[in-house]
Amino acid sequence: MKLPSLLRRTPFRLTLLFLALFAAAASAILAWVYFASASEARTKAERDVRGEMQVLTGIYKERGYDALNRALIDRTLRDNSFLYLLKNPDGTQVTGSLTDFPIAEMEETQEWTTFPFTDTDVEGRVTRPQVRGVQVQLTGGGMLFVGQSLGDTEAYLARLTQALWTAMGIVLLLGLAGGVLVSRNLERAMSRLNKVVTAVQEGDLKARAVVRNSGDELDELGAGLNTMLERLEGSMASIRHAGDAIAHDLRSPLTRMRAKLEVALMDAEAGKIDGVDAVQLALDEADNLLKTFNTVLAIARLQAAAGRTPDPKVFDAADLAADMAELYEPASEDKGLEFSAEIERGLMIEGNQPFLAQALANIIDNAIKYTPTGGAVMLRARRRSSGEIEYSVTDTGPGVPEEDRERVIERFVRLDNSRTEAGSGLGLSLVGAVMEAHGGRILLDEGPGEYGGFGPGLRVALVLPAAE
Amino acid sequence: MRILVVEDDAEAATAMVRGLTEAGHEPTHAVDGAFGLLEAQKGGYDVYVVDRMMPRLDGIGMVETLRKDGDQTPVLFLSALGEVEDRVTGLNAGADDYLVKPYAFSELIARVEALSRRRESGSVATMLKVGELEMNLIARTVHRAGKEIDLQPREFQLLEFLMRHAGQSVTRTMLLEKVWEYHFDPQTNVIDVHISRLRAKIDKGFDHAMLQTVRGAGYRLEP
Repeated sequence: MKLPSLLRRTPFRLTLLFLALFAAAASAILAWVYFASASEARTKAERDVRGEMQVLTGIYKERGYDALNRALIDRTLRDNSFLYLLKNPDGTQVTGSLTDFPIAEMEETQEWTTFPFTDTDVEGRVTRPQVRGVQVQLTGGGMLFVGQSLGDTEAYLARLTQALWTAMGIVLLLGLAGGVLVSRNLERAMSRLNKVVTAVQEGDLKARAVVRNSGDELDELGAGLNTMLERLEGSMASIRHAGDAIAHDLRSPLTRMRAKLEVALMDAEAGKIDGVDAVQLALDEADNLLKTFNTVLAIARLQAAAGRTPDPKVFDAADLAADMAELYEPASEDKGLEFSAEIERGLMIEGNQPFLAQALANIIDNAIKYTPTGGAVMLRARRRSSGEIEYSVTDTGPGVPEEDRERVIERFVRLDNSRTEAGSGLGLSLVGAVMEAHGGRILLDEGPGEYGGFGPGLRVALVLPAAE
Repeated sequence: MRILVVEDDAEAATAMVRGLTEAGHEPTHAVDGAFGLLEAQKGGYDVYVVDRMMPRLDGIGMVETLRKDGDQTPVLFLSALGEVEDRVTGLNAGADDYLVKPYAFSELIARVEALSRRRESGSVATMLKVGELEMNLIARTVHRAGKEIDLQPREFQLLEFLMRHAGQSVTRTMLLEKVWEYHFDPQTNVIDVHISRLRAKIDKGFDHAMLQTVRGAGYRLEP
């Protein structure tokens, strides 16, 4: 992977940002530890020096100058951690590990100072530790300095600083490596998703993202993408199905129209009929074609609405059922079918009333069409125990064999053996589209069984969610 | 009737003007909403037939302007947009009726004539009378030649609509829209069956049939 492209990746950028934040925090901690330790070391040195000074001035006060001098020599030889310097009242050096006072003589009895001291360590290396000390004017006129090296603390702080820098280096390296790794993993996952998107862009609707069910966001995105594609493929399939249906439903009337016009032309040429009749026939067929087109258009619009109801209103499903019963009863009775309606009151639903009316009209019309004379058609509207609203139309026609029902619902298309009747394939597809747009479903069942020599009949139910 | 046809499709306009002339009306054609507005402002029209989608000023804009100016002449909207929302938008803009393209010419004539009649019957009548048929809108009774006819509520509404448009052709779609107040395709001849039941009640046993079928159009109630 080239660095510039890596730098453009979000996870890598985030890694860099966090590393920078970490480095800043580590520096701050380091600085704090440094200053805290330094101050601690100084306080300790001052305490020690003060104690030693007290002991020494005590010796001086009690036993005099020579005793102090002896004590100093003794102490220097014992190699303790203190540095000493003692001067005579006349100013000459007497004893000590320093050649001169770090500070010029002064009036005050005590003055603290810190200065670098050149020394050699056990292995003979030259070191320049800092020394913290105080000098005191002795009452007899001499001067005493006692100091202590801050060397140990310095070395400790140096080691600490080094450790922290090393740690920071390791963290930065690991962080960068982690960043690259995360970035690459994410990149791989994203490129898998991108591949799916590209494939779809290029027209392959079957492409799906690999989902590992790990529950992470990318997996969720992949699953979402798949659901979306599923839906898209579904709509494409139904559009294709609608296309097939149009081809079938338009070809038949077009063929009929053409044949009728040809016959009419021959008849008119032979003087057998009036041209007007021929034109009337052609117009009737053209009207059928227009109806088919309108249905296809309605299906397309509903499907384009992608599961959302167009122009929804809250209304009483019972009123619609009552109106439909009233509208279809005479036509049904004219065909010699007994028509009945059972409608519960107060079934509020939210939906597009014209489309639901059309869906209901289509299944009632279908029932009337496929039920032989002497049969019965019943319309019911009720509230299911689940609270949903259900319209159902039951007829006593031949019904749909159980093994075919799923297929019928799936495509909601006219079965092949009943294709002799005028086109209802698109009509039922429209019912399917209307139900989908309303979040409803279609149920198919057997009718009442044998009735007037026919049966077992069919019960088509449209189940809709009740209004909130 | 003087009819203003506002339509940008020249061929459709020519056919419409010719058809309306043959039906005995006086159509005038304007090529878009802006010209239509100018022509309408001259006054004297009984109905405006307005295409919804036109260059410059579209049908919605034109009708809204007319209504704002206080022009209450009935408007029939023509549109290739047939969705419920489109119909609602059209009617909200001030149109009185809405017809989706392509339409049967008989449907257009029937609707135009129904619109012009709507304006004439402005006063609230309590009695309707067509020939020997009488309808009492208060008592909700119907008599033909003095003989009472018993009608179902919907049959009463159907006859009322036919009587209000007596002498004019009314189409099946118009009946479904105006009497049942539904906008959908009933698939079969449900309206015909209702008409034939009504016809059996008002014409059976009388010397002449008042409720006539108009070929290629719909029905007409004649005195």
